[in-house]
Amino acid sequence: MNRRAFLKTAGAVAALGVVPSIGRAQSREVKLGYILPVTGPLAFEAQLSLNGLQLAVDEINGAGGVKALGGAKLALLPGDTQQKVELGNSEATRLIDQGVSALIGPFSSLVAYSVRQITEKNKTPFVLLAAVADNLTEGGLKYVFRVQPNGKAMSTLTMNNMLEMAKAANVAIKRVAMMHEDGNFGTTMGNHVEAFAGQLGYAMVQRIPYSLKSPDFTAELSKVKASRPDLLVISGYYGDSKIIAETASKLRIGVHALVGLANAAYSNPKFIADNRELTDHLLDGNYWHNPQSARAKAVFAAYEKRFNSTLTSHGVQAYTVIHVVKDALERAGSADRDKLRDALARTNVTDHILPQDAIKFDDTGENVNATPALLQVQGGKPLVVGPARFAEAKPVFPVPKWHG
Amino acid sequence: MGAEVLLGLALGALLLAPPFLPPYFLEILISVMLFGYLGAAWNILGGYAGQFSFGHAAYFGIGAYTSTLLFLNLGVTPWLGMLAGGVLAAAFGLFAGYLSFRYGLRGPYFSLVTLAFAEMLRVVAVNTKAVGSSLGLVIPNREPAAVNFIFAGKLPYYYVILAMALAAVWITRRLERSKLGYSLLAIRENEDAAEAAGVDALGMKLRAMALSSFLTALGGTFYAQYFAYIDPTITFGPSVSIQGLLQAIVGGAGTVLGPVVGAFVLTPVSELSRAAIRGRAGVDVMLYGVVLVLVISFLPHGLMGLRRGRGNPPRVPLQ
Amino acid sequence: MYGLVACGLSLIFGVLRIINFAHGAVMMLGMYTTYWLFTLLKVDPYLSIVVTGPAFFVLGMVIQRTVIEPNRVAAEHNQLLLTLGLALFLENLALVLWQGDFRTVRPPYAGASFVLGEALVEVPRLVACGGAIVMALALFAFLRTTDVGKAIRALAEEPEGALLMGIDVGRIRAVAFGIGSGCVAVAGALVTPFFYVAPDVGESFNIMAFVVVVLGGMGNFVGALLGGFIVGLAESLGATLLPGSLKQLVVFALFVLVLLFRPAGLFGGGRGR
Repeated sequence: MNRRAFLKTAGAVAALGVVPSIGRAQSREVKLGYILPVTGPLAFEAQLSLNGLQLAVDEINGAGGVKALGGAKLALLPGDTQQKVELGNSEATRLIDQGVSALIGPFSSLVAYSVRQITEKNKTPFVLLAAVADNLTEGGLKYVFRVQPNGKAMSTLTMNNMLEMAKAANVAIKRVAMMHEDGNFGTTMGNHVEAFAGQLGYAMVQRIPYSLKSPDFTAELSKVKASRPDLLVISGYYGDSKIIAETASKLRIGVHALVGLANAAYSNPKFIADNRELTDHLLDGNYWHNPQSARAKAVFAAYEKRFNSTLTSHGVQAYTVIHVVKDALERAGSADRDKLRDALARTNVTDHILPQDAIKFDDTGENVNATPALLQVQGGKPLVVGPARFAEAKPVFPVPKWHG
Repeated sequence: MGAEVLLGLALGALLLAPPFLPPYFLEILISVMLFGYLGAAWNILGGYAGQFSFGHAAYFGIGAYTSTLLFLNLGVTPWLGMLAGGVLAAAFGLFAGYLSFRYGLRGPYFSLVTLAFAEMLRVVAVNTKAVGSSLGLVIPNREPAAVNFIFAGKLPYYYVILAMALAAVWITRRLERSKLGYSLLAIRENEDAAEAAGVDALGMKLRAMALSSFLTALGGTFYAQYFAYIDPTITFGPSVSIQGLLQAIVGGAGTVLGPVVGAFVLTPVSELSRAAIRGRAGVDVMLYGVVLVLVISFLPHGLMGLRRGRGNPPRVPLQ
Repeated sequence: MYGLVACGLSLIFGVLRIINFAHGAVMMLGMYTTYWLFTLLKVDPYLSIVVTGPAFFVLGMVIQRTVIEPNRVAAEHNQLLLTLGLALFLENLALVLWQGDFRTVRPPYAGASFVLGEALVEVPRLVACGGAIVMALALFAFLRTTDVGKAIRALAEEPEGALLMGIDVGRIRAVAFGIGSGCVAVAGALVTPFFYVAPDVGESFNIMAFVVVVLGGMGNFVGALLGGFIVGLAESLGATLLPGSLKQLVVFALFVLVLLFRPAGLFGGGRGR
């Protein structure tokens, strides 16, 4: 019975998943697979990334596909990790079996650690999306690439931007407190902000990791307040960040500013719209687009039209990744994984919508120029206030309302 | 007779077919075997002794962390680390079990206390830098070496977990016919009566606990080596505990083959529903929930209950 | 806050003797109902209780009748898995219907707070707390004075005896499950103004609610309420005194100790079972 049950299901799986792909391979298309946690706790954020992928793919296909491949269209093949490692593995394997030229994903660093082994063994380019753990590209891997800033770039450059802004406003930042969620993401950020303290001349006076599931942060924030910091830095997801900002406001926390670090809420248009008076003048260092770029404006308009909502930083990253891969496909002149990998390694994309110079990868596959933007909510909108050459608004700093 | 032939055929297929399967199927088979193995380990305590642990993640995590830390820090081969993890997990199991059984925790109270122990370990791991806190531990991408439990392809991993699952099934079968097995069944059906009849309930339950936690920990080491990354939430989180017991109950708790059969059904069901409903996030997990409810409603003794339906009287429900 | 969730759970646990994993999911549905009433019809979250309470009472009865009752005779662990399957179903139903994004309900008083001595008192939290107390007392009175209430108590204490006394056991169980569900839905409504709504939001409360129920003693509402306060207090103390996110450790340790030494709860007499 074991065997029969297995063969039956195996046959069904084959019928549903693998076999049709052989038929599809006939048509002229380049298959790109994504693995994202489209169900589970990160479903919403994953959907934002997915929208960005879709937008870019449609844009490219609408403009005649990959020219070097005779106008071949890009096809996005879906994979759902549900934020589970074993599903990340099986979905990645399935997509590779189906002949994708590259894999994009998987949001969570936990899943990425395991999937990168599979892509490496199968010589398949793996472009990371949203996973921040620094060491993901380490260990002599040849097929892993990351366009966005990793945890280290994200946190150190954001702190740098903050301190420059403070200097321009003649405010000294000596004491920094940090609250971060206690998973891989928050801990990575916390470690860097702490490690960077000496170099930038501030003291980390309080560092509080917290559990995402905690419904109340009054005790933690009282501890923060007692340490009399100049700045409170917060790395967290949506719900926790909301409660922290709210409680900090009620406690009259007494800092120059609340700064998110890759925060999922503080520059999120929906969060801002839902919490207008709370979010005014919140700062956040995050992946962003370049507001000076005309192309970015067009992409935003197209996104708005298609999805009836504002393009977010997750969408911008996803959109950019597809264009980087497409650029490499043009130069490789082939959908072959190895050729694509070599082309990716020689990437030099200057026409993009990110707030940075050319997109180029170093030996490990990290984007050497990756930079986060410093954002501030002004008039109900997250606006870029740093680094100066991309800024679209003057920062309000110190923020009076957080002075208590 | 027919059943044994079928079993033989299944075993033959499991041994011989994998080299010819596409990688995706192999990947799924490895998941099936791992879950089946964890289910079998849980089954010894949960199915046979009727002690419904909700915290087997504790032992899984101890196994994964022990072997990985020994390997990364002292270069001890994970094969040895595996045993060390097993022993440590069994010790922890005895400690937790002694406390709970000694103070007469039964039924849901026992479930909750085991859950609490696993959660405590998770919180400690998250907050301990020496074990990598929530950054977790990465098994480096080193040269494949059998002695280090690192293989180039998936196939060797498959045979390792297959051997582990077969061993667990064999141990369960031996257990079923041993004095320990009979005592456990007696305890499960009516602990007070069993004690009155002279069964050392505490001692027997502790033995089941030790065996079950030892085996679960070996699964943890396999997980760490195969997926090459562990962190507190993955290893100590509630989903590991639930995975194990789910296979066992759906397949048939307290039966030799139940957990493996459960794994052979549940994993493909989840894969199939995902394949069938692409693009609409959540529908597949919803269906999975429905399947779970239906299986439990219509097959209260699990899939193995289908076979024992005729002839054998149904088991007395636990109260 | 935990006390509120725990009241409903306590009832379900006391009468039905099942660990209900779907409790958090029901709470989540209650929160969504509040959200939609507020967003579409501008119904105040506190006012919406009038709708959510009865609606979820009925939903709870339906769930009990259709899903749980047919499996009464099955082993305890099967019922537990049933509720797990139910939770998976409900959470993902919410995901399918409303996507995974976080939603917030902000009535004008959401940010209201005042300082009392050293402590910060947030008005919405105060209301939730008051609501919990009222609900616990109401449940307490209901179980003491009404016939249905007495039947529920009889069922919780002596299932066979209740049957012998001619109580329609199935109906009473359904009523108990219904009340339990209604309670968490109301809890969800009360919590919404200072929380957020998302498909998996109930999970934050699930495990803690178990802890509270056990601390307070199964089926003991006033105990559940006090248990809620103790957990809240233990968390704050843990957060203040311990480094990192170790505050949960305090709660779990307390939980294990109570289970081991006072399984009837801190306020119960005698042994649990």
